Amino acid sequence: MKQRAVWGAILVAGLVLSGCGSAAEPDSGSGGSGGKLVVWDWKSGDASAASYVEKAKADFAKKHGGVTVEFVAQPFEQYYTLLGAAIQAGKGPDVMLFNGGGQIRDRADALLPLDEYVGADRQRLAGWEAFTSGGKTYAAPVTLQGHPVYYNKSLYRKAGLDPERPPADWNTFVANCAAITRTTGAKCFAQGNKEGIGIQFFLSGLGSGILTPQEYDDWIAGKRNWTSPNVKRVFALWKEVNDKGLNNPGANSTAMFNDAFAVFQSGKAAHVIGLMSDVGHWQDFAEFLDAGNVGVMKSPVVTAGTTPSLPYDGGIGYAVAKWTKDPKVAADLVRSLTSAEALTAFYADAGAIAADRTIEVSGAGPAVATIVAAIDDGKPALHVALSSKTVDLMGRLSQQLLSGSVTVDRAVQQLADSDQPG
Amino acid sequence: MRPAEPRPADRTGAGEPVAGAATSGSRKARDGRRAERLAPYVLIAPALLIIVGLRLWPLMLGVNFSLTGDGERNGTSVGLDNYADLFDDPLFRTALRNVGLLVLLLPVAVALPGLLATFIYLRVPGHRLFRSVYFFPAVLSPVIVGAIFNLLLAYDGPLNAVLGGAGAGPVDWLGDPRVAVFAVVGVHVWATFGMALVVFLAGFATLDPALLDAARVDGASLPQSIRHVIIPGLARTIQFVFVTTMIGMLTSMFGLLYVMTGGGPEGSTYLPEYYIWVQQGQMNRPALASAASTVLFLIMLVVGLVQIHLLRRVGRED
Repeated sequence: MKQRAVWGAILVAGLVLSGCGSAAEPDSGSGGSGGKLVVWDWKSGDASAASYVEKAKADFAKKHGGVTVEFVAQPFEQYYTLLGAAIQAGKGPDVMLFNGGGQIRDRADALLPLDEYVGADRQRLAGWEAFTSGGKTYAAPVTLQGHPVYYNKSLYRKAGLDPERPPADWNTFVANCAAITRTTGAKCFAQGNKEGIGIQFFLSGLGSGILTPQEYDDWIAGKRNWTSPNVKRVFALWKEVNDKGLNNPGANSTAMFNDAFAVFQSGKAAHVIGLMSDVGHWQDFAEFLDAGNVGVMKSPVVTAGTTPSLPYDGGIGYAVAKWTKDPKVAADLVRSLTSAEALTAFYADAGAIAADRTIEVSGAGPAVATIVAAIDDGKPALHVALSSKTVDLMGRLSQQLLSGSVTVDRAVQQLADSDQPG
Repeated sequence: MRPAEPRPADRTGAGEPVAGAATSGSRKARDGRRAERLAPYVLIAPALLIIVGLRLWPLMLGVNFSLTGDGERNGTSVGLDNYADLFDDPLFRTALRNVGLLVLLLPVAVALPGLLATFIYLRVPGHRLFRSVYFFPAVLSPVIVGAIFNLLLAYDGPLNAVLGGAGAGPVDWLGDPRVAVFAVVGVHVWATFGMALVVFLAGFATLDPALLDAARVDGASLPQSIRHVIIPGLARTIQFVFVTTMIGMLTSMFGLLYVMTGGGPEGSTYLPEYYIWVQQGQMNRPALASAASTVLFLIMLVVGLVQIHLLRRVGRED
């Protein structure tokens, strides 16, 4: 017994001693051996990305023939966990794929600013803001991700509405929904908020019709006025839509990926705020509804005087790690990964809206044409500007709003408290 | 850890005894004794090195890391700030509350396989079939189980359709924060009770059937037989199932949580290990995650010590 106590004391003392002292040394070490660059992503393993990777590699080989490039595809669920460990160790891949917004901004201190290398691509590519932090660019965009409001044209036709003239204001929108529900039984919105993602799409998808242009730009610039009546209106409307039965039932237990999209695809709901790239987008919907029946509209005007626009950002983009040996070579690889040829292959095979404005898309149906036409006037999405902590909190609060266990005022107050710099 | 015999006073080196060509008899005996004294150290060295090198040392690194900052404060010592953050976070408090809930639900999770094993032991009609049916879920991965129950428990899913047919309103099994945690624990129990059932059946194999026969001859009813014959006879098995079920609940529900609720709705189904994963991978706060891991470690330590204590007491009764 005594012996055990002694060992226990030694263990505790050891833990305490190791605790008092030194901290891990940040940003030490280096990766990337001379003639080799390692790329981490979660895309290159897909068959649909094969020709994209091939084109990018060929382009890079023209510039740096002697450098080999190794793509390591990680599973997406574990991607940021693995990347976090690599960053903590200060060694790992030279080039890595990132989602735009919080995911890259939170890790910007481990990345190399690319501004001096990518100047020539500035005009050709769109969506840089999502990879910018503190005025510096940390990744070059590959795809654009955004939140168009998709609608089912055949349901509009069945309800006697003109599918080519989607409603421009909220009252008409709700009236149309009532007509559709009456004649077809379909709900207004396909909504999935099990992961807390529904609110992100709602905020960004309808935000430009609720916030004034000034409020919108301020929000993106980080000057968010949480006491503004229009900001509260977003969350009040989120609750109102559900309370009035416009959503499919059980939104809190319906997963956005991909149950909510399935509700839309199967014609059980007339609208869904979806994505532009990868999944839950024009290509997926066209498979079930036929490309001609998939419509895209801008947000209806909820607050008079607003100008709805397409909310989009850089979706995914390649960044360069700080610890890479030769930043110029790694940056050249990023440029190859965003070359026009490579991105054309990505758009065609993976069904993504590529970041390159010069790609020809007229063959892919009216929805894509509408989306691409709206890119020039588009603005960054509202939820992407928030920190991942605030987005996480917003997800839980949105579920509470739907279940009625928090008021709109309290929810907005909590978000305001969470959205403090630093 | 320490050898029983006293330390040799004349020990000069720590090396193995060298077999000399010309050594006297007494020297040989001394070498033999020394080898015997060193043997325990040599024998436990591999185990000790593995425990220290792969368990305790990383554990200390983790504790150390939990006292440093995240993001801009990466690498600087921040004292107990992470722990303060942790207990300030309602999400972590929910996770701890859910651990308490699991402990409370533990008797149910143990009684269920115990009762079913009793029926199988008493050879209810079809007991062979039930034995395999009960064990079947134990071979499924949590992801598959989660996906199956996601479909069954969906708001417009079959279970609610059955309830609707019976005239009861639909229940939002995975969307109502008051219900979801019970739904997930229920599914976990369903998925894992097969293992406990097998352990119980093994325990029954050691039970003396003569005792049951005697009880039956004396006119004992089934509840009486269970209360006075089966439970005392299976005391050790029950203890073992308690320990393994508790560990299973605390450490292997991640897959189910990830697939079925993602910690939601409203954060009501968070458990510490899920919280650790979210903070490390999604929120990029590895130091905070280390602090949460340390707290989870302490909880497991306390739970483990209590269980060892209980086990030892039962062993003494035997």
